[in-house]
Amino acid sequence: MKKRLVLFLAAVVLVLAGCVNTKSDVKKDESKPSSETKNTSIEILGMSTGEDDLNILRDQLTKNGFNVKLNIQPDYGSFTAQKDAGNYDLALTGWTTVTGNPDYAVRSLFTSDGDNTLFADEEADKLVEKASTQLKEEYTQTYKDLEQLVVFDKAYIVPLYTSYKAQGVNNQVIDEKTLRLPKSRAAVWEAISFKDKAKNATQPLLAQQGISALTSLDPIKGNDGSINTLNTNMYVRLVNLTDDDEVVSDGSLSLNHAIADGSKDYYFLLRDDIHFASVKDKKAADSGERVGAEDVKFSLDRAKDKNSVPDHRTYSLHESMKDISIVSDLKELDVKTTDGQSTVREQLEKGLDKKISTLVTDKTKANNGSGAYQIVKVTTEKPFPQVLNYLAHQSAGIVSKKQVESINTYDVAKYDVNKDIAYGDQKTITEGKDYNNALYASGPYILVSKNDYEAKFVKNPAYMKGTEYEPKISAITVKFIQDPESALSALRNGEIHILNGVPESKYDIVKKDDKLTLQQNKSNGVAYLAFNMKDRDVSKSVALRQSILYSINQEEIKNFYQGNKMNAVSTLSPLVETGLKLEADNNKAKELLKEYQSEK
Amino acid sequence: MTAQQDFALKRSQEYKHALFVLVISIALVLVFLVNAFDVTEGTWNKVWGSLTIAYLVIACWQAIILFCMKRDLLNTGDIQKRTRLMSAVNLLTILVGNVFTTTFAFRMLRRKASIEYTISYYMLLTQLLIVSVSLLNLFKPYVSDMFLLTMAVFILLIIFDVVAVVIFGKVDTDRQIKPAFKWLGIALIITGFSGNIFGCILGYSVLLKSTNRDMSTIEKWNKIWSKITKNFTAMLGLLFVIFTFAISIASYGTFVYEFAVENNYESMLLEPSLANPFGTDNFGRDVFSRIIYGARISLIVGVVSTLIPLVIGGFLGAIAGYYNKSIDNVIMRILDVLYAVPGILLAIAIIAAFGANTVNLIIALSVGSIPTYARTMRANVMMVSNLEFVEAAKALGEADWKIIFKQVVPNSFAPMIVKATLTIGGAVIATSSLSFLGLGVEPHIPEWGNILKVGSMYLETNPYLAIFPGIAIILLVLSFNFLGDGLRDALDPKLD
Repeated sequence: MKKRLVLFLAAVVLVLAGCVNTKSDVKKDESKPSSETKNTSIEILGMSTGEDDLNILRDQLTKNGFNVKLNIQPDYGSFTAQKDAGNYDLALTGWTTVTGNPDYAVRSLFTSDGDNTLFADEEADKLVEKASTQLKEEYTQTYKDLEQLVVFDKAYIVPLYTSYKAQGVNNQVIDEKTLRLPKSRAAVWEAISFKDKAKNATQPLLAQQGISALTSLDPIKGNDGSINTLNTNMYVRLVNLTDDDEVVSDGSLSLNHAIADGSKDYYFLLRDDIHFASVKDKKAADSGERVGAEDVKFSLDRAKDKNSVPDHRTYSLHESMKDISIVSDLKELDVKTTDGQSTVREQLEKGLDKKISTLVTDKTKANNGSGAYQIVKVTTEKPFPQVLNYLAHQSAGIVSKKQVESINTYDVAKYDVNKDIAYGDQKTITEGKDYNNALYASGPYILVSKNDYEAKFVKNPAYMKGTEYEPKISAITVKFIQDPESALSALRNGEIHILNGVPESKYDIVKKDDKLTLQQNKSNGVAYLAFNMKDRDVSKSVALRQSILYSINQEEIKNFYQGNKMNAVSTLSPLVETGLKLEADNNKAKELLKEYQSEK
Repeated sequence: MTAQQDFALKRSQEYKHALFVLVISIALVLVFLVNAFDVTEGTWNKVWGSLTIAYLVIACWQAIILFCMKRDLLNTGDIQKRTRLMSAVNLLTILVGNVFTTTFAFRMLRRKASIEYTISYYMLLTQLLIVSVSLLNLFKPYVSDMFLLTMAVFILLIIFDVVAVVIFGKVDTDRQIKPAFKWLGIALIITGFSGNIFGCILGYSVLLKSTNRDMSTIEKWNKIWSKITKNFTAMLGLLFVIFTFAISIASYGTFVYEFAVENNYESMLLEPSLANPFGTDNFGRDVFSRIIYGARISLIVGVVSTLIPLVIGGFLGAIAGYYNKSIDNVIMRILDVLYAVPGILLAIAIIAAFGANTVNLIIALSVGSIPTYARTMRANVMMVSNLEFVEAAKALGEADWKIIFKQVVPNSFAPMIVKATLTIGGAVIATSSLSFLGLGVEPHIPEWGNILKVGSMYLETNPYLAIFPGIAIILLVLSFNFLGDGLRDALDPKLD
């Protein structure tokens, strides 16, 4: 009896054991990476903020037979140091087209002499030049050819994804309908209002920014996250971008603008109700000086001139402009516009209460009420319709000719950063013994003072008074909170009212909170991998680069971000619908890798 | 209550143990109860609910046993056989994982405490835990190729362990035992290589008593181990440490590494279930497998980064303590400089300079604690080198290094062992802290600090991602501390 029981038990155990799936049962069909081909090593450089992306890339490349080494640097400084030293095969980078036009998305990256050039390819240079002279209808095909060349044929970059923008707002305090979330341009502070309008005059709006070291408050001397929002709200521009990147005159220094036939002459009709604000005793004061055509000419001339200031960081955006002039002759406006129907004058006068009667060249004589207007004309070297996007960028902000000239008295060639104090130097507005605020703001707000924790702005008292663009809230405090998680906590406990840039993994938390609203819009930010094109295996072999390209599966990345990312083909993807798509293909990737290994 | 009755209660280690087990069981009931009831929705969770009920029943039974024990002790001064048999029921509690009541039940079943019996039932428990944890892999889509073979070996080991428990439950092993037992001892040591170090300890003990004729060695061994085995917190600590070690080894055969490192975008952030007992993280990796694999790194780094300063610091301290004056001064002042640099800052600096990997991590954590070991060793050596037997050795003309390493060091090593056990916990925490800060091993490699770091980002939405690695770290550190305390009690001659 006992023997039988033991036998029976043994039989049961055997049957059960047979039911268990082992790894080799399940993975039998999957071809193991053959051990005779040596694994190709790839080094990926990134920052700790991109750890999640790096992990996905490591996983995908490993599964396709690469031997991946990650080089994770804690901050941007060490990242750039490693990049400059060339210690990488692939670098995880991102690009945001802040001007909202495709030329900016390709010029500095894909041309041989761009500011952030990734590679040198004559054919790519030609295509970028060709597209820049074309209007929207024509350039789509050119940009498609460019993408085909850069991404698929030569595989200079590996696109990963396009991001969304997300903004959390405290809906108990802020009237969320007044808070815009534009695709490209920075926050529109003048439109924001508190829910309880009585508070607009008494309470400051609390906003947040990650970086507390401000590059410069001179608009042409910076183009980064530390000053984009601040300078955009401190200096008015000739035109503005709408929430989905259309160029308009609404809320800008111009009442209307027009493009003359030939796409080389651009006219802007200026408004007369903006004065520069200055800071006196830590309060904003109306300087009494009008923002006029002379200031526009001065600002744009220095914007396009590389030698107008030391550390000019934005001249490449404005190099397309040949000449800026103040129009004095009304007859000049009788040329046709690009649509071939109306004249420039008709377009400029559209919707005006008082038509143009005289043009003045002296800004103090302008008086829109009596028909005395100022007009600025911008002429480009070549036909270049996208110049308007650059004029909407914060670096084309209008500064005061008189004030800037009175401060920038040093010789640019002999500029000494320790001795000379340039206009917009952050030292002059930082609390302490060097405080000497000499800013002249043409925009809705002016920076009064800052320290390591916050920057205080007050409303420009003479900015479009009585119009819908007059700033609603009288004071704005920008808190510097570097860590996104802490910033979110600050939003949730009411320490700040608006948080621009909620992390993807925290969307649910913001959505669940009744006090908060999550605003989302598409962004122009694209993440991609740049190949090291100097003296590496990846710089020499197209097959190896393509093998990496086809190993990357964007769908998996989207899955990881719970669908809060979009596919990308290049930095153009958020701006131009080229119709191309990168599909991951493991077999192709493995074949290309074999091809590379055999040619080696 | 007479003074005699009072003494009987106070004297009885078993009574204290019973009380401890009751308190722990009630605490666990409360923890499970809190988890079982969802306050916001007013619903009961079935799994937690049934666990609560099971543990509540256990706690009640334990309370009854405790009551009987008290009555026995007050009336007769000794625990009666019936009470001991009552606690046998508690052996079944291993089925719901209550090791506290199970160990207590095992203890109660033998009238007279025995070192070999205690170690053997801890060995059996460890083996049972390994098998049950490994069996969870059956709920995964597939198991490793070695799984069935390994499990078969483990089940044989369990049978062997049960036999050992029965033998040592019957045989009196206080003094010398029959020479035939040495084969059993060898077999036990061999089973210890599966990671279950209890086997090694037990085997060594049996070998010692069956072959050695020197009573004083046996006496010494008995004294130390009877103190440790009577200390139930130390034994629980030892149980968890050995379990962690053994499961790290067993995982080579029973766990699939791919589940711990390969991303799976179809199963991200899943709640705990049978297939993923601790849920999945933001990349769809099984947190349970990650914690099991993470134990390897935590243990290796923790132990090695304690051994290195133990050896280096011990050597320097011995030299400094034996040769007073100039050599002492030079060594100790240099170490004082090192001591002035905060350990964790030194570690961060070393890792920032040489890059983050396991070897650098071990070096970084070791260097900072050399001075403390040297100080401990020096103090002991200074005390011991003035004792008569050292004087005698000197008088006999023994060479200095022989005196140091044959006479002095062995007699001043006990406090070093205690210190080492206590600092392993600190090293485990330091490893995890550095990984948490992004300075340890690469982020995809399963390491407890890395796992905790991912969990910390989902504290609100998926708290279990942080709770389980957190508990693992707490338990391991706590176990080392309990064990260290037990060792100190056992090795410190002043506490006799």
